[in-house]
Amino acid sequence: MKELFLELKQAIIDGDEDIVGELSQKVIDESINPVDAVQEGLIKGIEVVGELWKAGEVFLPDVMMSAEAMKVGLGLLEPEIAKLGMSEGESKGKIVLGTVEGDIHDIGKNITGAMFTAAGYKVFDIGTDIKAEDFVLKAQEVGADIIGASALLTTTMSAQKQIIDYLIEHNLKDQFKVFIGGGPTSQAYADEIGADGWAESADEAVALADRMLAK
Amino acid sequence: MLPKYNVLTEEQVLIIHNESIKILEEIGMDFEYEPALKVFRAQGLKVEGNRVHFTREFIEGKIKLAPAEFTLHARNPEHNLVCGGENIIYMPGYGAPFIQLADGTRRKSTMQDYENIVKLAGASKNLHMTGGTVAEPQDIPDEIRHLKMIYSSIKNSDKCFMGSAEGRERAQDSIEMAGLLFGGKDVIKEKPVLISLINSLTPLKFDERMLGALMAYAEAGQAVVVASLVMAGSTGPAALVGTLALQNAEVLAGIALAQSINPGTPVVYGSTSALSDMRTGSLSIGSPETALFISASAQIARYYGVPSRSGGGLNDSKIVDAQAGYESMMTLMAASVTGINFVLHTAGILQYFMAISYEKFMMDDEMAGMLLHYLKGFNFDEDGLAYDAIAKVGPGGHFLTQKHTRRNHKKEFRTPQLSDRAAFDAWSKEKLDTNQRAHKQWQEVLANYVPPALDENIDKKLLEFIAQRS
Repeated sequence: MKELFLELKQAIIDGDEDIVGELSQKVIDESINPVDAVQEGLIKGIEVVGELWKAGEVFLPDVMMSAEAMKVGLGLLEPEIAKLGMSEGESKGKIVLGTVEGDIHDIGKNITGAMFTAAGYKVFDIGTDIKAEDFVLKAQEVGADIIGASALLTTTMSAQKQIIDYLIEHNLKDQFKVFIGGGPTSQAYADEIGADGWAESADEAVALADRMLAK
Repeated sequence: MLPKYNVLTEEQVLIIHNESIKILEEIGMDFEYEPALKVFRAQGLKVEGNRVHFTREFIEGKIKLAPAEFTLHARNPEHNLVCGGENIIYMPGYGAPFIQLADGTRRKSTMQDYENIVKLAGASKNLHMTGGTVAEPQDIPDEIRHLKMIYSSIKNSDKCFMGSAEGRERAQDSIEMAGLLFGGKDVIKEKPVLISLINSLTPLKFDERMLGALMAYAEAGQAVVVASLVMAGSTGPAALVGTLALQNAEVLAGIALAQSINPGTPVVYGSTSALSDMRTGSLSIGSPETALFISASAQIARYYGVPSRSGGGLNDSKIVDAQAGYESMMTLMAASVTGINFVLHTAGILQYFMAISYEKFMMDDEMAGMLLHYLKGFNFDEDGLAYDAIAKVGPGGHFLTQKHTRRNHKKEFRTPQLSDRAAFDAWSKEKLDTNQRAHKQWQEVLANYVPPALDENIDKKLLEFIAQRS
C-alpha cells in the first residue's frame, strides 16, 4: 500500500495524468483507503512540485502538468471518498477562479489555478466570460474562501468591480475574499473597487492567499 | 537603401506555408461572429458551428487579391505613406494601460497622456505616423474612449493615424470621423486613410470584437493589419517553426476574410509573436526568439506579396535602463533590416506592452533615427568616394579643413538627438544618464510643439459627431 502511494506521489511529480489515473483506479479497485491515497500520494507529490518550483528547479509546464494530473486523481478519488462517507481532510482553502464577463483570455487564470493547486488549495475553475452572479453562485455552492477574477482588457476590468458590487448588494461581501488580477489591474485599482487582494503574478497571489487565510 | 536580409531559405518558407495550409484544412479555425461565418459559407467553405475548414485553393486565391502596397492618406498630403515595398513606417506603442514615470513609479494612463504622445509623435522626425491607442485613456468612460482618441489624433497632428478595432460599432465611428475629415466616406473608400489592428485570439480563433471591426473596415475600403501574437510555450507550441506556422495560419485566414468581403482590401501581414517565460508564464517580448519571429514574418509576407507588420522597440524591462535599450535595439533593428514595413510599437514600450514611458519614447525615437540612417546604406557617387579630398590631403595630413568635409559630413553623418558624445569631464558637470536626459527632452519637445491648424468647419463637425454619439 505504501508503495502505491509513493508511485502516486511520483506520478504527480512527473505530471503523468495517465499513470495517476491508472493508480487511482487501482486504489478504488483494491478498496484501499482513498483519503490516504489523496493525503499520502497526490498531495505529497504536488507539495514537492510546489517546492521545486519555488527553488527554481522546475518550470511552469511542469507545475501545470502536475496540477492537471492532480485533477485527474481527485476526479476519481473524491467521488469514492464521498461514496464511503469519509472526509477528504482539510485543504488550505477553496478558490473559485474565472475570467470576467466580456473577456475570454484565460492563460493567466489557468496559470494561477495551477499555482494554487500546487500550493494545496482546492481550485474551482469556472472558465471565461463569466457573469458576476455566476462567480458568486459557484462560490456559495462549494463554500469558497476566495473568489478570483481575472481580466486582461482595460475595457473588462469594470466587470471585476461588478462582482464586488453584487456581493455588497446581496450582503455577501463578508463571506468571500475577492482577489483580482490581470495585465491592466493594479493594487490601486483593487483598492479603488474594494477588492480584498491583488497580485501581479500567480505565485504572489498564492502567497497573498496564504497570509490572508492564516488570519 | 540596404538590401533586406532573409533568415529563411525559399524552401523553408514553403514548408511553413504548407504547414499553415495543413492547419487550416485539417484543424480549421473558430470565428465567433455569425456575419463572418456567413461570408465563409457563401464562399463554399465547410462551416461546422463556429469552426471553419479552409482549403488550399481558397487561401492561396484570396491572398493573391491583397495589394502588394498601398498609400495611406494623411490630413497633410506631405505625410502620406506608402505601406509596402522597401518602405518602413515607424510609430508609437499601442494599447499600454500604464505610464511608467522617470522616477520609477507607475500610474494609469490618461487622456492627457494620449494627447502628449500624439504630439511627441507629431513632432518627431523619425516617426512617420502617430499610431493608435498610444495610451489607454482610463479616465474616459469606455463607451466614448475611441471617439476622444480619434479626435485627439486628428486634432494634434496631421500625420496618419489608426482607427478603433473595438468591435463593429466603434470601427464604424472611426470611419464616420475619418469621412468628416477627408470629405466623405466615398472619398476615403477610394483612398484609405485609416489602418486598424485586428488581432487573432491564439490559438486558432478570432473573436466577435475583432471580426466586427475587420468587416466594417474591409467594407469601407480601409486598411487592416491582421496580426497574431502567439506566445510560444503557452498559446502556441514551444517551437519556433511551429509557432510561425500557427501564426501564419491565423493571419492568412484573417486576410482571406478581408479579401472575401472586399477584394483588394489593403491588408498588412502582422506578427507580434513572442515567448511565454517558462518560469512565470508571462509574455516575454525582448528576446532573441522574438527577433527571429519578426525577421521570419517580414520574409513570409514578402513571399505572399503583402506588406508586413511587427513590433519595434520591444523589451521586458520595467524602467528605462540598459535592458530596455539593448532588447529594444535588437527587435527594432531586426524589424528594420529584414524589411518589416509597418513597425507598430516603435517608441515608448516597456514591461512587455504593459507600460508606455515618455523617456523610453525619446530613447526609441533616437534609435529609430539611427536605424533610418543605417538603412540608407552607402553613397557611391563622387562625394561618397571622396577621392579628390583624399588626394588633396595626401599622406599625413587631416581632413578637418577640407571643403568636402564641411559639406559632406552633413549628408553622410547623423547627429544624435539624445545620445551623449561629450568628453567625460563635460558630461561630469551634470552627470545625466539617458533616462534623465530624455526626461528633460520630451518636456521641451512638448512645450515647443504647435499642432497643425485644423479647419474650423471640420473641427466643428467632428465635435458635433462626438456629442451626438456620446
